[in-house]
Amino acid sequence: MKKILSIAIALLMIAGVFACNTGKPADNPDQGNSGDTAKEITLWTYPIGNWGDEATVKTLTDAFTAETGIAVKVEYLTYADGDDKVNTALTGKAGPDLIMEGPERLVANWGANGYMVNIADMFDATDKSEINAAALSACFADDKTAYEYPLVMTAHCMGINLNAFKEAGADQYINTDTHTWTTEQFTNAVKALYAKYGDTVGAVFCNGQGGDQGTRALVNNLYGGTFTNAEHTAYTWDDAKNIQALKALYDLEGIAYDASIVGGDEIANFYNGIFKMAFCWNIAQQQNPNSAGTGAGKTANGDEIVFMAFPSQDGKAQLQGGIWGFGIVNNNDNARIEAAKKFIKFMADSEHTADAVRASNFFAARSAVEGKALDVWSSDPIMAEYTKLMPMLGDYYQVTKGWAAARTAWWNMLQKVGASDGSEAAISAAVAEYCTQANDGAK
Amino acid sequence: MKKSKDNGQSVAYRIISFIVLLVLALIFIFPLYWIVTGMFKPPAAINSPTPQWWPQEWTLRNITELFSRRTAPLFGNLSITVPGAVRWMINTVFMAVMAMILTCVTASMAGYALAKKRFFGRTLLFSLIVAAMALPKQVILVPLVREISALGLYDNIWAVIFPTVGWPFGVFLMKQFAEGIPGEMLEAARIDGASELRTFTSVVTPMIKPGIGALAIFTFINSWNDYFMQLIMLTSNSNLTISLGIATMQAENSTDFGLIMAGAALAAVPIIIVFLLFQKYFTKGITMGAVKG
Amino acid sequence: MSPALRRRENISGYLFLLPSLVFFVGFVVIPMIMCVVTSFYDANMNLNTPDVFIGFGNYVELWQDPVFIKALVNTFIIVGVSVPFVCAFSLWVASVIYKMREGLLSFFRIVFYLPVVTGSVAVTVVWKWMYNNYYGIFNHLLKGAGIIDSNINWLGDPKYALWCIIIILLTTSVGQPIVLYVSALSNVDQSLVEAAEVDGATNFQVFWRIKWRQIMPTTLYILVITTINSFQCFALIQLLTSGGPNYATETVMYYIYYTAFKLYRFGYGNAMGVILAIFIGLLSALQFRLAKEK
Repeated sequence: MKKILSIAIALLMIAGVFACNTGKPADNPDQGNSGDTAKEITLWTYPIGNWGDEATVKTLTDAFTAETGIAVKVEYLTYADGDDKVNTALTGKAGPDLIMEGPERLVANWGANGYMVNIADMFDATDKSEINAAALSACFADDKTAYEYPLVMTAHCMGINLNAFKEAGADQYINTDTHTWTTEQFTNAVKALYAKYGDTVGAVFCNGQGGDQGTRALVNNLYGGTFTNAEHTAYTWDDAKNIQALKALYDLEGIAYDASIVGGDEIANFYNGIFKMAFCWNIAQQQNPNSAGTGAGKTANGDEIVFMAFPSQDGKAQLQGGIWGFGIVNNNDNARIEAAKKFIKFMADSEHTADAVRASNFFAARSAVEGKALDVWSSDPIMAEYTKLMPMLGDYYQVTKGWAAARTAWWNMLQKVGASDGSEAAISAAVAEYCTQANDGAK
Repeated sequence: MKKSKDNGQSVAYRIISFIVLLVLALIFIFPLYWIVTGMFKPPAAINSPTPQWWPQEWTLRNITELFSRRTAPLFGNLSITVPGAVRWMINTVFMAVMAMILTCVTASMAGYALAKKRFFGRTLLFSLIVAAMALPKQVILVPLVREISALGLYDNIWAVIFPTVGWPFGVFLMKQFAEGIPGEMLEAARIDGASELRTFTSVVTPMIKPGIGALAIFTFINSWNDYFMQLIMLTSNSNLTISLGIATMQAENSTDFGLIMAGAALAAVPIIIVFLLFQKYFTKGITMGAVKG
Repeated sequence: MSPALRRRENISGYLFLLPSLVFFVGFVVIPMIMCVVTSFYDANMNLNTPDVFIGFGNYVELWQDPVFIKALVNTFIIVGVSVPFVCAFSLWVASVIYKMREGLLSFFRIVFYLPVVTGSVAVTVVWKWMYNNYYGIFNHLLKGAGIIDSNINWLGDPKYALWCIIIILLTTSVGQPIVLYVSALSNVDQSLVEAAEVDGATNFQVFWRIKWRQIMPTTLYILVITTINSFQCFALIQLLTSGGPNYATETVMYYIYYTAFKLYRFGYGNAMGVILAIFIGLLSALQFRLAKEK
């Protein structure tokens, strides 16, 4: 018995030595020669459509490895804890080579904090003419500094449960052709739904920052408020129009401020039929609701989901844009930076771009690749329908300084509004407090 | 002793307290019960607003789903790949066992020295250990992350093991046990010409065996469940532990409760089995440590 | 003691301590020193700005930070509620079960230990569902019994959230104390109890004058471990409420994590750590002073 035990322990020890050697390709000395290209890189990706799905991503990276001989080790992050992971890893000087996310993180946060590689040299004149202007400018911190190469983009929207709307007689308030509605129609629809179901039909979720693009767009659009000033130098939540919207939402029976859930939970509750509308919605969700793989545009029990622009007084919404692409983390190793650049070029600026875009369920951030028009979705009716929303894309303000802290202040503010007595004074005070906090971070 | 009755205690009090106790027991068992039954329920049943107390339709879907996610190498960088959950399990067992062995060896030696050796700075050192015992690990979060990364251990299972071993509760516990060793026995060993190390292995160790046993189980369970250290030190999928794996799964797909239950069961059931197997030693060990303390 | 023997004791003492000290100093003491040092700097995550020495700047700011004060208060509410409650509860359970048949006794001991062993992450998964606003079991049962009309948002309401967390913490804390009390109660000197009963002492008097005194060392030990345990409740908060709503469940432990990795203010977070460490040090000193007196 004792012998077996000691052998087992010895084996564990040896195994431990192996375990010590896992994970970091950088530890391998023969890959460090500058000028060379590394044989392996790591990519950390957020769940951007199917870029969060191992099988899909593997096909893409296998194609890259086949062409370049560079292996790609992929880690899948989540929105709930991905930022914390990246932050601890960067603090621990153990970041990946590539991160796939949007300018709000890659440019405004990790880029501004000095952790990313300037990849401005990857954009030549053709690229600049082919890439969507808004996406391009969001990827640049200033004229000469770019921390992200954009791949895809979309407009965030709302989702509604059409069957429930019909049952409650609320479908008269929506236009399923233009996918728009006014603030008044939205209010009437919620009232009709509440009369029918007698419970919360939509939630201003605020347990954390997950999915906050939805709550931001909802509040800003209702009465035409803004999130930041046009120059992206200050946060403007204390705008009377925003306060009016927050109060209207507070007063509207059927809409609840819910500090126990985030966007992901909201989507799930919507998918499971508990909520009749979701504020955290986009084309990828429409294609594959709740990432459950149970069919495009359908809830769990088969109700039809219609995507909608956010309601606004004139019915013309300013939608929140989402831009996603790749950034390179500065690990002070030229070989790995070179390899990472090859990866970006392969995915976002080559004949493989169409596949990379398709995997995301979003729209390409560029119209053409090296002069050849990019056709990704022409045969997909849902995507074609969704393009109706794209002209409503509003200001991409997520690159305002102090963005990470401002996002945190935003959900804290919503929590405070939700827990207040709902009076205008209380709401104004809460907004003022957190807006000041956000602006302190923007200095 | 068991047969002696407390005359004063009324029968009514006993019956009522027994009923209350049973209700409490139900509440304490419930989470585990729900995990184990939830593992076999289809998604619709789990998310239904009316709880389904017993699975009406049994499914293995959650378990197959759990094992079809995110592949990882079986060990190190081996080319044999296994489902992520299997690798998490291997990592967790490895971590808990290593932490247990290292803690038991170092703590029993240190505890013995603190209890029986009259060396310079003994009181000071002991006070330091006692003071550090209650310190939440969050206090040293940032410096620890920086230090671990300077050692090149970030995102490595040893980054969790070492700080666990450094936590001085084990030393405190073993000191309490070692206090009970009669000085004459140590003196006798010395007169017989036994070396210090030999005295430790042949006189001290047998006497503090129950303590070592208790500390072993204690460390094993604690390290298995020490979510925070795992959270800040481990990032890549192939280095995750099972607790961290479930937390990630929950973040990724907060509503697939069936899948999460299957993961929770995978995390909880093995450790419960270990506990049930060794609970006699465990109970004995922790009580002895306390009574001496 | 002769000088030679003293030297021998010194050398052998430190040699036995060495392996343990390597880990203790390496992974607790050194980080703690670094923590104190960094707390005097305006250190952040930004690589482009150097850390600036600001003396007690972080500490001054701390006392003006309402969130920190709230977190400190919450931390002490959690410890202040859970420690006495755990002691009283486990003493009661132990007093009911310690005279039971061996099988039954062991059953209850295991049952109350289960949440400890199951682990906070796995336990939290279930509690999150139980507290759920829309399909949780509590709302279902309370509504079914007609006690409430509309759903209570347990974790989303500042009135309830902290208590919800404390309840989970309690279930994961009483296991060990119960085991300890059971054995302490069975070891109470029976002759003293009988003598007192002959003298006509009531149950309460027997308990208070004899049993309570005899189990005092156990009680102190339980106080210590429960305090340690209550300060460790991080997972529950991180996984359930992230400190919200409205900082209702913010604790210093979580706020440190949050300040470091959401606001990137390392120096500020470390200053909080130092304050917390001081409070805990005082508390431990107090408990051990008590223990020594007995």
